[in-house]
Amino acid sequence: MHPLLASRARLGAYLLGWAPIALLLTGIARSQGWSWVEASMLAVPLCLVAAFLFLSAWFLCRALPLGRQVEALGSHGAAWGLAAVLMGGIWAGLAWLLARILAWIPGLGALPQRVDLALPVLTGVGILLYLASVALSYLMLAQDRALEAERRGAELQLLAQESELKALRAQLNPHFLFNSLNSLSALTAVDPARAREMCVLLSDFLRRSLGLGERRLVALREELDLARAYLAIEQIRFGARLKLDWRIDPAAEPALLPTLLLQPLVENAIKHGIAALPDGGTLLVAADIVEGHVTLRVENPADLEAPAPQGLGLGLRQVRQRLLGRFGSRARFEAGVQQDVHRVTLVFPLETEP
Amino acid sequence: MKALIIDDEDLARAVVREHLAAHPDVEVAAECANGFEALKAAAQYQPDLIFLDIQMPKLDGFEVLELLEAEGKRPAVVFVTAYDQHALRAFEAHAVDYLLKPFSKERFDAALAKARALHAAQPAPPPAAELAAAARQGRPLERIVVKDGPKVTVIHLERLDWVQAQDDYVLLRTEGKNLLKQQTLASLEGQLDPARFIRIHRSYLLNLDRLVRVEQDTKEHRDAILRDGTRLPVSRAGYQRLRELWEGA
Repeated sequence: MHPLLASRARLGAYLLGWAPIALLLTGIARSQGWSWVEASMLAVPLCLVAAFLFLSAWFLCRALPLGRQVEALGSHGAAWGLAAVLMGGIWAGLAWLLARILAWIPGLGALPQRVDLALPVLTGVGILLYLASVALSYLMLAQDRALEAERRGAELQLLAQESELKALRAQLNPHFLFNSLNSLSALTAVDPARAREMCVLLSDFLRRSLGLGERRLVALREELDLARAYLAIEQIRFGARLKLDWRIDPAAEPALLPTLLLQPLVENAIKHGIAALPDGGTLLVAADIVEGHVTLRVENPADLEAPAPQGLGLGLRQVRQRLLGRFGSRARFEAGVQQDVHRVTLVFPLETEP
Repeated sequence: MKALIIDDEDLARAVVREHLAAHPDVEVAAECANGFEALKAAAQYQPDLIFLDIQMPKLDGFEVLELLEAEGKRPAVVFVTAYDQHALRAFEAHAVDYLLKPFSKERFDAALAKARALHAAQPAPPPAAELAAAARQGRPLERIVVKDGPKVTVIHLERLDWVQAQDDYVLLRTEGKNLLKQQTLASLEGQLDPARFIRIHRSYLLNLDRLVRVEQDTKEHRDAILRDGTRLPVSRAGYQRLRELWEGA
């Protein structure tokens, strides 16, 4: 289907574009001594006919795409010329017919004679107008192609993000897993009940992280549940070195966010905060709602003797990219050390499952 | 036989202790939750054997071993770690045993037997720096540990300005201080990132980040001018290396 016929707005704009041409034709006819009535009665319907007749240029253009090769221009040019002459001729013929029909109207009796005289000029104008339609059609085709390429690009990006997410899921931190199993191995001898509890926690964590991978968006509640399962295990590993502080506004829990966004943050907080400090410290996870936006915060004590990290690590970069990929400029990502606290803050609009 | 168990996790130490209970001739002299405690306990108890975790806060296992070595202590070592096993395979070539967490009783006993045999045979154990380099698998060093009297200093490479060769030692310039470490400049150079630290002279390695410009004094003599105004000599070969780096960039 022709793109101009597919949308009322586009068709309207296109027809409006023909109004000045009709005006121009009327003016030319007047200058040749036609009366106002004669000139406008012929020019307006004739332009309307041309508007629809010359839409056919689009189909010709689609069949003859403009390539990069200059050689094709010769055969294309011949086709355009032939079509233009044909259409110009048909159009002039229609003018001839229209003049004879309008001659029935009293006062327009001189029209057939006037049109006969103007037939060469009308044919020429028709050819020019058709060639202009050809140019317009190529413009529209190019625009459509650009839009299509943009859409395909966005689709590809989406695919890339999805595969990245898949890789993320597969990336179950082996260090965490083996250390947990080692703690479990220790507990079986000293505290069998605790060992069983740890088995359950570990299974819970694995099941949740495997399940989350199926979806692109999850409620914050589920991300928090996963983090709780993970931190309960780390709590057994680190004992008194790890203190947990949860400050969650229940109203933030249904907020939707990209899957596995919180998990890398808490893993980072353990790895670079708690595990890097002999005495550990407090890991804070906070979620609030401020002015329709969710503020999600993860804090851990920082090792002040180590130099401040230059830029973001790969994990944080991925989190930022995925957050901004989902919410664009409506979201904000901040990470940095203040005093002796490393803080990562995500701010994103509160959107919930419909 | 006196042993130390060095691991920052209580439960991880508990497993080793539990397995050692079956070997009454091995006495656990102390358990240490970090590298500094380990150095103190080693000075106090002179252990024959240490069970050593690799990833620990402040000082990692390799750094602990290196500092023990600097004090002339060479206990038998069993690495106990959840570290990447590919990295540790390199240890087999160095006749050092390791236990991957979690491990079985059989595996533990085998590691202990190997450590005992090595200890009895008294071969020269491989230098800690060599082991650490093998485990890093070509990745450059990120920090340097120096024993300065009783004090241990960890120098993060961002804070290292330049290094000067002084016979068997290197002088490390960091945050306005000079620290001495027993190591040759060539061996240190081999461990550092060649894109960050440049050998500008037979006796100098420079942190490229500190360099402001190179001045030509006389026809044959050039000086590197650093951010704090320090001048270091640049040899012809050193200047060539700098130019290659600039032209490559």
